[in-house]
Amino acid sequence: MLFLQLLLNGLQTGAIYALTAAGFALIFGATRIFHFAHGTAFTLAGYAYLFAWRAGWPGWVGALIAVAVATLFGMAMERFVYRPIQRHEGSFFTVFVAAFGVGIVVQNLVGMFAGRGLATVDTRLSFATEVMPEIFVAPILWIAIATAAVLFAALTVFLTRTHAGVALRALAQNPDLIRTYGLSANGISVLAFAIGSALAAPAAIVTAMTSGLNEAIGHHVMLISIAATIVGGIGSLRGAALAGLMLGVAESLALQFVDTQWAEAVSFLALFAFILFRPSGIFGVAMAR
Amino acid sequence: MSAAREDAPLRCEGLARSFGGLQAVAGVSLALPAGQVTALVGPNGAGKTTLFNLITGNLRADAGAAWVRGRPITGLKPWQVARLGVARSFQDLRLFTHMTVRDNVLAATERSAWFWQPGGAAGRKRRQAAAEAALEATGLAALAGARAIDLAYAERKFLSLARILAAEADIWLLDEPASGLDPASRTRFAELLRAATGRGVAICLIEHNLDVVAELSDRIAFLDQGRVIAEGDPRSILRDPALAAIYFGDRHEPATAAAETTA
Amino acid sequence: MIAYLSNLATQLAIFGILAATLNFIVGYAGIFSIAHAVFFGLGAYAGAQIALLLVPDVVLACLFAAAIAGGLSLCLALPALRVRGEYFVAASLGLQMVAVTLFAELKPLTGGIGGLVGIPLPTLFGVPVGVLPVALAALALVLLATALLARGAFGRTLTAIRDAESAAEALGKNVAAAKTLAVGFACAGAGVAGALYALHTSFVNVESFTMEYSVLVMAMVIIGGTGTLWGPLIGTVILLSLPAGLAFLPFIPPSEVGAIQQILYGLAMTLLMIFRPAGLVGDLSRGRATA
Repeated sequence: MLFLQLLLNGLQTGAIYALTAAGFALIFGATRIFHFAHGTAFTLAGYAYLFAWRAGWPGWVGALIAVAVATLFGMAMERFVYRPIQRHEGSFFTVFVAAFGVGIVVQNLVGMFAGRGLATVDTRLSFATEVMPEIFVAPILWIAIATAAVLFAALTVFLTRTHAGVALRALAQNPDLIRTYGLSANGISVLAFAIGSALAAPAAIVTAMTSGLNEAIGHHVMLISIAATIVGGIGSLRGAALAGLMLGVAESLALQFVDTQWAEAVSFLALFAFILFRPSGIFGVAMAR
Repeated sequence: MSAAREDAPLRCEGLARSFGGLQAVAGVSLALPAGQVTALVGPNGAGKTTLFNLITGNLRADAGAAWVRGRPITGLKPWQVARLGVARSFQDLRLFTHMTVRDNVLAATERSAWFWQPGGAAGRKRRQAAAEAALEATGLAALAGARAIDLAYAERKFLSLARILAAEADIWLLDEPASGLDPASRTRFAELLRAATGRGVAICLIEHNLDVVAELSDRIAFLDQGRVIAEGDPRSILRDPALAAIYFGDRHEPATAAAETTA
Repeated sequence: MIAYLSNLATQLAIFGILAATLNFIVGYAGIFSIAHAVFFGLGAYAGAQIALLLVPDVVLACLFAAAIAGGLSLCLALPALRVRGEYFVAASLGLQMVAVTLFAELKPLTGGIGGLVGIPLPTLFGVPVGVLPVALAALALVLLATALLARGAFGRTLTAIRDAESAAEALGKNVAAAKTLAVGFACAGAGVAGALYALHTSFVNVESFTMEYSVLVMAMVIIGGTGTLWGPLIGTVILLSLPAGLAFLPFIPPSEVGAIQQILYGLAMTLLMIFRPAGLVGDLSRGRATA
């Protein structure tokens, strides 16, 4: 029974990981920018929702604000940090340091203004009831899984059926193609950041309602996104999402054998092992480097 | 012919490699004689650079083997092959962009990865002399202090060559070393190759410009679809209409063309 | 006041060693490790255990710490041999996270969350000695070694590998050996810094070896300028004197000094990367090296 309970918990965590990882992978796939501040978008969205809730606003308003904050943050990063750096041929490391700096600034600002340590949104949605003997499930579990599934389906439709979506996928391989669609590469790049960052918002809201936020949570989110993207295979959105789900489940199932503090290490061990033995990931083709 | 093959500084037999379903190199046997320039000619995608990569150990061969002066090099790492005296250049040069021109060349003389190079002070003096000589020969001496990234196009190509000169290898694999060079640079380049073959260096070069091939090479190996379909002196190969048809993409009967010329 | 200054100077020397050794692999070899604090920690635990179990001899502690950190540097060298760029940064981040868990959980070796306490005062061949002179001597040695290695054939090999790995290999450079050596040297240096830190504070726990510290040291290197001899030292001085300087500003509540310091260096990292990617000391074009 413990196994089933852990599996269900793992699916909830996995759905969150899958959403953030898909956002990260989308941005990287389209722009080849390793968006190390992706976790920061998550932090900002989560705290935006928290503030809205504390102010007593309805949940959907808070959710809209969270999505808007994450989206704007992603677009601002593209416009004011990454684009200027890429203009002078910045290496990946220049990009990394700049994004990391932003992460540190936001983490400390959040700590100063929202308080340090755990912060949660109390809601009936995260109140677990016994659905089977010894199995406790909160409505938020189904919400998390359904949200992830719906968003992922919508994303697939967008990427395969719309001009902008096709252009987004083509950006990395063939910038010329974008022009034939009458779109600008810069515009598509901003779009990738907007959509990718927006995907972090629902994950952040669910996290705020369940395990809770803290000002340093961005690090964790960023690392999970990177781990899922690499384990899934760089360039594969589906791979990243699936790997995110798997990492979430693995972390949870590991609790059957090890203490909580080791659970997180499971993801990073997986990441480390994949980089050493199969850097192309599960679904990736052989990589260039 | 077979005796010459056995003596050749570099020789390969039946080298093959496929990527997915694509047979990039399909059983190439080739010998590079000492003191001669062998040109690898063929249409795009014929497997020329892949063949280099198989010889130098950058790619693992599915089948076949290669020898340097009779010593098998199959399965060796690129740096081990290099230390047997095989130097190569890259189509995209791969200079050490943020090092000075002199350091680029000096780095080519230093084999060891350790803190100290063998040979002590005398060894260092010898390496420095080799580096200066290579800079002199390629006309880069005046630019020795400049950074590689700041060089002009032709200068970069010569720097890539200077590294090979300084490495004191006796087998050179050059990937499009003359492409884009102006006539004066090309003359200097030809002189460098002559001087090297005069010392007994075995050179293999990939080249697309058939005029350059005619001017520089002593032998031609014609590659198509991963196979050597013709081998011989430049004049007969370059005059072969069937090969010209393949080279210029007018592919009618490649099978018969291959059969006739290799016969 | 003397005690305060001596403490600050010791901290400067210790973090100077960390920054200089990290700069060696970042600036010359292009190995961008976000796990330097791991080897700092390994050295600190190793040095502390030597002092606790054997003798608090500072040289012995440093040597043992260097051996442990240098030996375990293979954990960092392995991914450095397999992958580059973003992949390696990701691997080093993963290593950092796993190491912190290990530090917190392996109680017999590290004392767990509580850490190792009551580390005896350092001696040198039985004579009590301050950490400051030893730390300064170690810093001088590390700087000298870095300068010698960077200028000689080994530095050329590393820079060549950084700029064009396949070309370096085609010239007969054993890339794997060179990278392993460079990482081993840098991590052993971090281990020495760790041992000195343990003897200086007489208490170590996992708090000092987290990703925040890895990033702090990285910031020192970046802000000062990678691939330069003095840049990392200047970065160290700036970042370590920042909290001291902020403490003197009356309008900043003491509880927020740490946060303000982090905000300032986060901002400095971002703005420098946008406007001056080579750091304060570095020459401009070097910072544009494509990894």
